[in-house]
Amino acid sequence: MSYLRLVGQRLVMMVLTLWGLATLVFIMIKLIPGDEAQVAAGAGATAEQVAQVTKRLGLDQPIPLQYLNFLGRLLRGDLGTSVVSSKPVLTELAAVLPSTLELMVFASILGVLLAFPAALVAATFRGKVVDGVSRLVAVMGGAMPTFWLALMLQYFLGSVLRITPITGQHSFGVSAPSITGMPTVDALLAGNLSAFFDALAYLILPAFVFAVPFASQVYRILRATLLGVLASDLVLPVLAKGASTRRIVLRHALPNSLAPTVSLIGTLVGGMVGGAILIETVFARRGVGGYLANSVALKDTYAVLGAVMFVGVTVCVVNLVADIATLMLDPRVRGTQFRSGAK
Amino acid sequence: MTAGLQTAIRRIARFSAYELTVFAVVVALFLVALVGPLLAPPSIYTSNMLETLMPPSADHWLGTDDQGRDIAWRLVAGAQLSLLATMLVVILYSAIGMLVATLATVGPRWADELLMRISDIGLSLPGLVVALGIATVLGPSLQSGIIALALTGWPMTARILRTTMRQTMEQSFVEGATVLGVSRTRLMLKHVLPNSLDVLIVKWAGDLSYTMLILAGLSFIGVGAQPPSPEWGAMISGARSYTSIAWWAVAAPGAAIVINAVAFALLADILQVHRDPSLRS
Repeated sequence: MSYLRLVGQRLVMMVLTLWGLATLVFIMIKLIPGDEAQVAAGAGATAEQVAQVTKRLGLDQPIPLQYLNFLGRLLRGDLGTSVVSSKPVLTELAAVLPSTLELMVFASILGVLLAFPAALVAATFRGKVVDGVSRLVAVMGGAMPTFWLALMLQYFLGSVLRITPITGQHSFGVSAPSITGMPTVDALLAGNLSAFFDALAYLILPAFVFAVPFASQVYRILRATLLGVLASDLVLPVLAKGASTRRIVLRHALPNSLAPTVSLIGTLVGGMVGGAILIETVFARRGVGGYLANSVALKDTYAVLGAVMFVGVTVCVVNLVADIATLMLDPRVRGTQFRSGAK
Repeated sequence: MTAGLQTAIRRIARFSAYELTVFAVVVALFLVALVGPLLAPPSIYTSNMLETLMPPSADHWLGTDDQGRDIAWRLVAGAQLSLLATMLVVILYSAIGMLVATLATVGPRWADELLMRISDIGLSLPGLVVALGIATVLGPSLQSGIIALALTGWPMTARILRTTMRQTMEQSFVEGATVLGVSRTRLMLKHVLPNSLDVLIVKWAGDLSYTMLILAGLSFIGVGAQPPSPEWGAMISGARSYTSIAWWAVAAPGAAIVINAVAFALLADILQVHRDPSLRS
């Protein structure tokens, strides 16, 4: 099984997935109550405008043809037009995507920094108090509504203690010109350090809240894998050699536990694009999730469905990248992927 | 009778004090959800402008909200909505998952292949986002939230169950039943499916925890339950605008969600350990 063929397999699966999602979105559009052309043209549209939209979207044609037209428009990058702003959904989303990616990257780094030390300590001192406490914290972190944690931290750290900013992405008047769309990166590119630290201060709370459920899952799988490796025969010779527990965990158990953890991190990062809806709403941040929640509030159904399609594509691409990264990190995975793929 | 009692006692004795505590908490949570709305005073559905935004006190254990309604009683009354809706979602998508898994196991090879590919597609889509789309199209309400999550939640169940059912099919009692001339439908429904379900029990406990969070999230964005419903996510959403003057109105429903979700997550861990003794320390 060559490496390229595996990647090719993933690509085919990704195309199938996106086709499935597109079909789902098409069905949903058909299920929107009311006359489709009227909805797409906006509530205040004249009969002439409605007729125009009917023609543009081909709504006078039979359904199968409409479906093909719809797929064709998607392939050309047409995700529909927002009824509220009259702008193409894709343009609006592309403008806010970097901000979401910035948040995701910071949150995953923070999550790994929280989860790895905790899991290593817990596995080293298995059954001790540290292990028990960190497990309970992890369970609670995973069982906490992120939007609620965000509101609580905003109130206690932001309003009462005034340590962190509450909402937004930068203080008034402190921002570097937008080049990449990521405030921290833009500030660095402009060489404006105070703007960088300002943007970072606004990023820390949302990134932390985002990182909590992420870290909880990473912690659980890493701890379980570490304990699995520590219980296996692999450790016996090292133990006989007289190595310390610390050394065994760090030098022998950890490298052998990385593959499942990295694979999980990939899946979780993909899922984060969806989780961003809640975080970006609570923190009033620009982003794909914020756009989606906003469109829901404005009852801009076409923008919602376009954004659903967009998030689907983003998630699939992130998953594909993560899959390839996993393959490249661990040659053994290639073998297992092959087996499960062939069945 | 006494033999039955003895077995029961022996079964209970297998669990540690910690595990029994978790069971007791879960049972208590279900009891609250069952009788909550019957106990709650009718005043929680009407406004009392003389007692708005009161901090926790002896009269109002968790304070009052912007309509002067007692938050503690609203939580008790809302327990039924929150927990029942969560259970309904899990039951509905488990049923879809079972149907898909059964069809994939009995059906021809191409049906199996097709259904599993569809499950894979479902698995790689962001559940919350697709559910949000469905709920938006259906119009914002708790029912829409439930339907949306039921339609997006089934692929994992289908995949796990189909694998287990394949394994069960290879066991000798299935072969025995086939030899005895049991019909294919009866074989699946009476023998293979029931003997494959225990793999799902652990998953159900974990699913309750996860679904409760995601359902509250839908309510919070505004496509699930709507205020003034005492559904916990809707309560948080309704109280959000005045967090800075009455933080308890946001804290309390969130804490209720956390208690439930943690209890179900711990239950899932315990069931997992008892299914797989190698995990015991």
